[in-house]
Amino acid sequence: MNLQPGEELPDLIKNPTTRQLVQYAGAQGDFYEIHYDQDFARSVGLPGVILHGLLKAAFLGQLVTDWLGERGTLKSFEVSYRGVDVPGKPYRCRGRVSSVNGLRAELEIWGEDPEGNRTTVGTAVVEML
Amino acid sequence: MSATPSVVDRLRAHIGTPGPPTSAVVEAGHLRRFTEAIGDSYPRWLTEAPPTFLVALAPVSAHLPEAEEYGKGWLNGGNRFEYMEPVKVGDTITAIGKVVDVYEKTGASGSLLFIIFETEYFNGHGRLVARLRGTAIRR
Repeated sequence: MNLQPGEELPDLIKNPTTRQLVQYAGAQGDFYEIHYDQDFARSVGLPGVILHGLLKAAFLGQLVTDWLGERGTLKSFEVSYRGVDVPGKPYRCRGRVSSVNGLRAELEIWGEDPEGNRTTVGTAVVEML
Repeated sequence: MSATPSVVDRLRAHIGTPGPPTSAVVEAGHLRRFTEAIGDSYPRWLTEAPPTFLVALAPVSAHLPEAEEYGKGWLNGGNRFEYMEPVKVGDTITAIGKVVDVYEKTGASGSLLFIIFETEYFNGHGRLVARLRGTAIRR
């Protein structure tokens, strides 16, 4: 274990499509229309269909587990959704080690839209083997 | 003071009361559909649940019809995931959820209703494997 505060996780770039939103709706069982019905989404004041918050959480979970590999385990993570994201635009997941305490490390994680707005922000705790 | 309790008061009456337990088996096919949907091909997820899979087995949030009297739509404000043990294909997972807080906030764009849900997931041995929290927002 040689994690250092400030270490950056390799970026994970996702390219969500409307097809993926439908696929995710089915796999999760979340059929709220804002994720696949453009007219419905606009009727509740959204720009169109938007990514599921939990899909963005899945992306950020993958950011951490891809980086961690078999070196340790993810103990917890939490995310706040600060803005909506739409399909057809790349979604960039980023993170860095914020503190290390023995085998445990806390990470700062976030997801950015193409303009660099952090539309999802959060933290994760990992424990190294 | 109104004779009819407000939506917020009626929702607050749910705080702390666990909903009915729901059980489901972690199936390899469901896991595969889920990992394909999120685009995560890490090999371990062929037999083990990736970090957010439990929401597909049993949702973090319960359906509260009275909440839909407030505002016009739902937004997900955030999620928290805590893991105690891995969840694997073949495990029978029982989920028990409850409302842990309900409050209203007034901001520049109007009023928002926040409902905080917490769901605990137990394996077939009765051990807590994960605890998930979700912030549902009506706007």
